[in-house]
Amino acid sequence: MKGSMRRVVFLIDMNAFFITCEMSVNPELKGHPAAVAGDPKNRSGIILAANYDARAFGVKTTMLVHEALSICPGLILVPPTRGLYERKSNEFMQILSRYTPVIQKNSIDEAWLDLTGCENLFGEPVQIAQMIMKEIMEELDLWCSIGISENKFLSKMASEMKKPLGITELWTHDVKTKLWPLGVREMYGIGKQTEKRLNEVGIITIGDLASCNDKLLGDIFGKYGHELKLLANGIDPSPVDPAPKGETRSISRSTTLSRDITDMEEARTVLLSLAEEVGEDARRNDFRGRTVSIVIRFSDFKTITRQKTIVPSYLTKDIYRTGAELLMDNWDCRRPIRLLGIGIANIDEDMPEQISIFDVNSELPDEVKKEEKLEKAMDEIRSRFGSDKLKRAKLLDGSNKSK
Amino acid sequence: MKIICSKENLLDGINIVQKAVSTKTTLPILEGILIEADERIKMTGNDLEIGIECYVDADIKRPGSIVLNSKMFGDIVRRLPDSEVLIEVKENDSVIIECENSLFEIKGISSEGFPSLPSIEKEEGIRISKKILKDMIKQTIFAVSIDENRPILTGSLFEYKSGKLTIVSIDGYRLAMRCFFSENTAEGIDRSLVIPGKTLNEIAKIIQPVDEDIYIYAAGNQILFDMGNCIMTSRLLEGEYLNYMGIIPSEHETKITVNTKDLLACFERASLVITNEERRYPVKLDISDDLVIITANTEAGNVREEIRAEMEGKKLDISFNHRYFIEALRVIDNEMVDIFFTTNIGPCTIKPMQGNDFAYLILPIRK
Repeated sequence: MKGSMRRVVFLIDMNAFFITCEMSVNPELKGHPAAVAGDPKNRSGIILAANYDARAFGVKTTMLVHEALSICPGLILVPPTRGLYERKSNEFMQILSRYTPVIQKNSIDEAWLDLTGCENLFGEPVQIAQMIMKEIMEELDLWCSIGISENKFLSKMASEMKKPLGITELWTHDVKTKLWPLGVREMYGIGKQTEKRLNEVGIITIGDLASCNDKLLGDIFGKYGHELKLLANGIDPSPVDPAPKGETRSISRSTTLSRDITDMEEARTVLLSLAEEVGEDARRNDFRGRTVSIVIRFSDFKTITRQKTIVPSYLTKDIYRTGAELLMDNWDCRRPIRLLGIGIANIDEDMPEQISIFDVNSELPDEVKKEEKLEKAMDEIRSRFGSDKLKRAKLLDGSNKSK
Repeated sequence: MKIICSKENLLDGINIVQKAVSTKTTLPILEGILIEADERIKMTGNDLEIGIECYVDADIKRPGSIVLNSKMFGDIVRRLPDSEVLIEVKENDSVIIECENSLFEIKGISSEGFPSLPSIEKEEGIRISKKILKDMIKQTIFAVSIDENRPILTGSLFEYKSGKLTIVSIDGYRLAMRCFFSENTAEGIDRSLVIPGKTLNEIAKIIQPVDEDIYIYAAGNQILFDMGNCIMTSRLLEGEYLNYMGIIPSEHETKITVNTKDLLACFERASLVITNEERRYPVKLDISDDLVIITANTEAGNVREEIRAEMEGKKLDISFNHRYFIEALRVIDNEMVDIFFTTNIGPCTIKPMQGNDFAYLILPIRK
């Protein structure tokens, strides 16, 4: 091998992800303007995702429901389906993993792939992209755009250039012609505020930023200014980081309740459903927490967190039991609660490992192992059929359920 | 009810039954001691897990019964002068406690609502010396698990088989086993019970280390300890206990024979630099050439101990939580012990040089 191999990085972006997921399970929506709305019956609810038929009318994400209906009267609104998007997201990650193990999930609907050196295996980058797009369309009935470049930043920029179903290459030698004419706001990582401050000093395009005086940038943004300039020049050395095992330091979930609660049973039920999600995530990542913590935000916004050390575990049962204990010890049911959260953390991965009797005697009947099997089986069923298909009996009672 | 009783007798009874009085409950009556006067007085505490009944000699002027708040009643009696105490129930469950120049009138609770102890037939019991039982509990209780995720391990196995009593505790990382065999001091039918750790703790506190016998009966999921003037009942843990015989390895790679007290002293000194987080800082054993080198390195400092030991088999480097060794070695009276090692990630077992009266198995720490 001579010199250093050119990196090949893809960014796969799922187009209109939530609504295309809905369309894949409900084909009647196809060909009609449709959108997922937080609460379709509520006129002041917001649009979470609109399909391309709706976008043609000007319907956009975060638009209010009544605004969207006024510009697109035939718009079909569907509520979000719990669990569907996570499941679809896992499925498309599965497809991506056929090509490389070096995948970094950036969000529920996009991921980077490092395909450096894979040309001999699968063909030219554009061909690989076509294969991936085809598989995602045929197997999942979902659309994606793919950006191809030699680093994460440029591949992300490329993926934005042609949507939906676009495959765009943006190599370093294209930066001058394709990237520099764009406004700074188009740059990944630059929001309204940063745009405003850049515009104030006369930096309007990415090209302006790329050639800007270092000192000026340093004065305004500090170290971040330097990074911005490198990106504007198409330079991004950050690796596609598949978040290796053991990297996880904590997993948590919280929810703002639909109304303030003062009932212990109700609070515990909420905690159980959150613990279930934390446990599922923890088991998937093979991450055992040494501490369980809960967050309680009262109606007056005063927030407390409490934590407890446990025998390292990723079982829903252990997480919930410890969380419920903390809740009971720290709440008298008088102060109304508006938000509840639960999480596990493992601050110290270097801790030497105390070997247990169950590690060396695998044939021992062990309730913890039984529970582990049970919960993993539940995870499996959920990941196949959706997280709404299997619930603990405690979470079934509609009157206790808090969404 | 009207009784006169010496402060000393009264307090002895209170101290015993208080061990079964609930401290956190929503039922006020469970925070009370039931006092019943007939020929003697009988005091009862019952937190619905453990129940204790204790008989105390007294001069019964008028039979009857009442429930008194355990904490208040205990605190009052404890501070009374060493003299005769008069207790009399007045109207509306109001209770007079009088002793020399002190006079209390406190609120009692009618005894009707007090939950009765489970009834267990006193047949086919196990008889064993109080002193031996107390010792055996103390020698195994520290290895009972506190992890509620494996409920069965929060108790000790109590196995009685043709004259041999075996008590086993396993917390997942270590095992403590004690046996006692004697046709003279123990008898009964074969049984296998799992007794909650809390119950064993309390019974070990109550029984005196004397050469009297205690009788143990079990029925359903309840156990009864009969100590003569005092009985204790408890719920048993349900489920199958681990097969402890299968856990203790029958083969070994390395064996050392060492003086128990000297080895204990080494571990105790080594532990002095481990000020906290014992799980982070294991004690390392380096076994070779009839010498065991024990070291610990922490942020607070380092320690190195050497101890002579008769050695057989392979050299070995292995690390442990020092507390597991200290707690086991402290309860071994034998002058010398054998320690059998498997691998540096497998179990090691402390055994007597002769016989099999005990086994302490400890799992190492992988560094």
